[in-house]
Amino acid sequence: MGISVSHLALVTGFLLCLIGVWGLLSNRHILRIIISFSLLDTGVHIVLVATGYITGATAPILDEALGPGAAALHSVDPIPSALVVTAIVIGFSVTAVMLAYAIRLYRAKGTLDIDAFTESKG
Amino acid sequence: MSALFHPLNIYILGLGGGFLIPLLYRVAKRWLAPVFFLALTGITLISAVAFIRVLGGAPPFEVITAGIAPPVSISLRLGVAEGFFCVSVNVVSLLGALHLWPRLREHYGALLLYLIGVMGINGMIMTRDLFNLFVFLEIVSIATYGLLGLAGTTRSLSATFKYIVATVIASTFFLLATALVYFVTGTLFIDELLQLPQPLSGPIATTALLLLLAAILIELKPFPANGWGLDVYETAPGGIAAFVSVGVSAGVFFSLYKLLPLFGPWLDLIALSGGLTFVASNLIGLRQIRVRRMLGYSSVGQLGLATLALALLEKTGAPQLMPLVVGGLILNHLLAKAGLFWLADLVDRQSISGWSPIARSRLLLFLFGALVVAISGLPPFPGFWAKWTLVLHLSSAGYVWTIAAIAIGSLLEAAYMFRWFGRSVHAPANNGLSGVDLPRLDWRAIAPVTTIVVLLALAGLLAAFIAAPGSLWIVTPLIAGGMLALVEALWPGLPGRAKAALALIALPAIGPFLLPEMQGLPLLFGVLFIAGGFVVGLGALYRSETRTGYYPLLAAMLLALPALAGASTTLEFFVAWEFVTLGSYFLLAHGRQTGSQTLRYLLFSLAAAFFLLAGFGQFNATGGGVDLATLRSVLDGGSVQATAAFVLIAIGCLIKAGALGVHVWVPGTYALADDDLSALLSAVISKVAIFGLLTAAYLAIRSQSGPDLSILLAWIGMATTLVCGVQALFQRDAKRLLAYSSISQLGYIVTAIALMDHIGWVTALYLTASHLLVKGVLFLAVAGVILRAGTGVFTSLGGLGARMPVTFAAVLVALVAMAGLPPLTGFGSKWLLIGTLLDKQWYLLAAAGFLATFVGFLYMIRLAWSVFLGPREQKNANHHVREAPAALLVPQLLLVVGILVLTLYPSPLFGPLSQAIDPAFASSLVWQGMPLREIYDSLDPLPVMGAAVVLSLLAAGVLALVLRAQAPKPAGDGRDVVASLAALARTIPLVHRLPTATAAWTGVAGVTVAAAGRLRLIYNGNAQTYELLVILYIVAIHFLGWP
Repeated sequence: MGISVSHLALVTGFLLCLIGVWGLLSNRHILRIIISFSLLDTGVHIVLVATGYITGATAPILDEALGPGAAALHSVDPIPSALVVTAIVIGFSVTAVMLAYAIRLYRAKGTLDIDAFTESKG
Repeated sequence: MSALFHPLNIYILGLGGGFLIPLLYRVAKRWLAPVFFLALTGITLISAVAFIRVLGGAPPFEVITAGIAPPVSISLRLGVAEGFFCVSVNVVSLLGALHLWPRLREHYGALLLYLIGVMGINGMIMTRDLFNLFVFLEIVSIATYGLLGLAGTTRSLSATFKYIVATVIASTFFLLATALVYFVTGTLFIDELLQLPQPLSGPIATTALLLLLAAILIELKPFPANGWGLDVYETAPGGIAAFVSVGVSAGVFFSLYKLLPLFGPWLDLIALSGGLTFVASNLIGLRQIRVRRMLGYSSVGQLGLATLALALLEKTGAPQLMPLVVGGLILNHLLAKAGLFWLADLVDRQSISGWSPIARSRLLLFLFGALVVAISGLPPFPGFWAKWTLVLHLSSAGYVWTIAAIAIGSLLEAAYMFRWFGRSVHAPANNGLSGVDLPRLDWRAIAPVTTIVVLLALAGLLAAFIAAPGSLWIVTPLIAGGMLALVEALWPGLPGRAKAALALIALPAIGPFLLPEMQGLPLLFGVLFIAGGFVVGLGALYRSETRTGYYPLLAAMLLALPALAGASTTLEFFVAWEFVTLGSYFLLAHGRQTGSQTLRYLLFSLAAAFFLLAGFGQFNATGGGVDLATLRSVLDGGSVQATAAFVLIAIGCLIKAGALGVHVWVPGTYALADDDLSALLSAVISKVAIFGLLTAAYLAIRSQSGPDLSILLAWIGMATTLVCGVQALFQRDAKRLLAYSSISQLGYIVTAIALMDHIGWVTALYLTASHLLVKGVLFLAVAGVILRAGTGVFTSLGGLGARMPVTFAAVLVALVAMAGLPPLTGFGSKWLLIGTLLDKQWYLLAAAGFLATFVGFLYMIRLAWSVFLGPREQKNANHHVREAPAALLVPQLLLVVGILVLTLYPSPLFGPLSQAIDPAFASSLVWQGMPLREIYDSLDPLPVMGAAVVLSLLAAGVLALVLRAQAPKPAGDGRDVVASLAALARTIPLVHRLPTATAAWTGVAGVTVAAAGRLRLIYNGNAQTYELLVILYIVAIHFLGWP
């Protein structure tokens, strides 16, 4: 029995999520932290796409060959794909904001070590 | 018209304005401000009109996008709940924009982000689609990230980075949860999700929901995964911090509310997280000295409380209480916290110790006080009514520990909030930090905060109306005080005496209307409060200062006394009680010398109030309802399980009365308060506790364990009398001596109440009236002495008898009356008490009573001797001393007349006293098998009187011998008498241990603050620690929530 594409995607997605979380916690360098976030985010995106995928199904384009009734069974669910596009855009902007802050932090202290930025505490 | 105000236009205005702003920045800069405010005002107006429509019964607005019905398209909804949240957030955002304007206009990007952020919050509230909720959450987050960068300092940059990292983790998990929810259910339409059979079954569904819950909770900044939030509160400009603290949080909170039915199995978990956050963050708040960080802790705590309330109301099936409780808590937080953050911007001092310049602006100080009262959940603001309703409901549902947590958290919050206020008022004016004046503020700077306070007051009235429509009259004292404040504001030159006269006249003029159809005990206390408050209050006329703000507070507090007596429900009683507490707190804070003593007073009073609240909650839970007439009834004996309610209310009243162990707040308060205020506090306001105790005592009579409890109560009273009497003996200051004496005398009254029968209560009332008269005379006399001789310290006084003959005479009368010597009132009341004690065969108590009477006699002698008779150390120091002014003598003489009437014609008084108790007790009351008549007949005063006289004489003789033996110098020097008395007092072993009461409370405070210090160590400022805590929180929710 072979592994289906959607399972493979799911496993990859969750694995990426775990790597991302691990990276967030284990890296002190701010750019690495941002990259880890991107990995985590990408992992979630892959999971999203995987949840809509149906092995062997066709593209969700309704025409004579694929009526509304058959579409539910024989086409890939288009909604996760639509969602993931939005999520990617949002992830992109968040990454951009984080990078912008990384630049300002570097300008302020000349370092990107996260441990250097602990002014507020308690 | 209706199309113009359609909620969809909120998004058109938000996005349209957002696109226009960069354009205008390039082509027409002067249009930036009008367009920005037009869009923001438009958003606010649209939400308000829509809210009013749905409130008026119109169906909720449904916005269908793309012309297709959900679930295929996204839909938005504005019903009553959505409308309430949108309007609240939009109004605060609009005011916030006005407040932030000087900063916002510096950068067009800030205008854009602010507008988009507000629109995003509206979207979070209105959307019915789970993924769309994620999108709006991200829109708000990104806008927030941008706004937080405005401050531009390194601190704020690094704080914002932590904030970003933590929130992106939360929102990524939110996205993952959304994907899984869709995978399991095939829909993202929230209405459809809620219609599925709950709870959704299967491991993936459970994981999805737990992830979703954890993500939303994280956005609400739960303890301990909230360090990132606290850091931005501390470092961002106040206006931005307010936007995050109230606007963004309100949006997230509403999301939780919207999705709550999905989280049915985990309501306890949500409540636990909320409660833990409330207590822990308020505990750590104690250690904060930076204003904005402290406000951050309070902010996080308030959201925790709202979360707790939300979850428990849902769990106990009380959605009808949501508007008042959750709405009230959120609105209170929204308005008060925003106001405080803005105020922090205006004052612009980082540390709470630098806030004293605020005391120079009356308006700012007033706004500050009102906001602190509101955030502490005290009346008349909405948080109070919400908390009351919540506690009553939780009592009925049996959530005892939750109530305790709410009380502890609230007390801690009040502690650091009022400490901040008190320090600002009392900081020495000449320290380096506070010498600098506030920046000059014009009306535009102050208008947003002022509007917020007005809105808070209106919201409070509305909440009061929802909570108890029939009880609105209870705010009369505030209105009277407010009117006097208005007179003061319009007429700044009005002399202090004129204002004092107005405040005092208000009492007999308005007071009686607050006692409608009252009879019995409440009527009696009402009359006592009005007459006593008026006569003792006359003392204020001796002060010539203008005392801005003092007299409005005095009017409000004095009128709260008859309101307390006239209360017909437990809620009204509690509100009036809080008014008295707050009024006297602010009056104390008005004084120059009170310092940290005011905080001690407030904390003990608030602790007392929380016991009262819990007690009323218990009474309600056991079927008693909120009617005081039901509480004050002995007729349905045994039908209500009243022990817990009695114990709680009695503890509250004993704290307020300053019973032994919790008396530590009294001496400093009475000693350091303004001299005329001390008289009111001791003579009149202390009777509030007695009234409360008498009210509660009805419960004890009904309770199964009543007899045991009353013996305990009697002993508490007598121990207080004895120990504090001894303490009074060796005070060095007249006011402190009187303060201890006051506690001691209240102890007698407590013992008398504990007798729990007709004769005991007549005695208690007689003692109450007698104490009011006597302490009024003594404190006013001491006020005169301090005025004329410049000090109240015994060693600097003496020989004033000839200089102040009238004062001396009044003191003599009071002395004889109080010390329990024949023939004045004290004697009558004390033989009544001791006689009754003997009659009940409580011999030990009776003996203690004898001893205490003797001690009382001694310290009164000491007072009279040191001040009026003994020689003064400095020669000719008295030659400038004159008789006290008439403003002090007249009330003293009136009170002396009262003492004489009480002595010479006791029967006209006993009649009403007896009557006052009778309607409730019924003369057929049987106590330990003895009908009332027999109790009276068996009381034969003569033997007791005789024994008292003989014993007193014997004791005096023994004392004289001891003194003679111990006195190192020849007799005749008055100071030696005093010194020997003090030396004698110190030989009593108990006395040496007495300071341990204060030490114990200092220890409690120390342990609390130390715990706070330990707990705050988790906030080490490191982004990765905060990430770890966020992830651990998610994992913990998962493990705890897994079925």
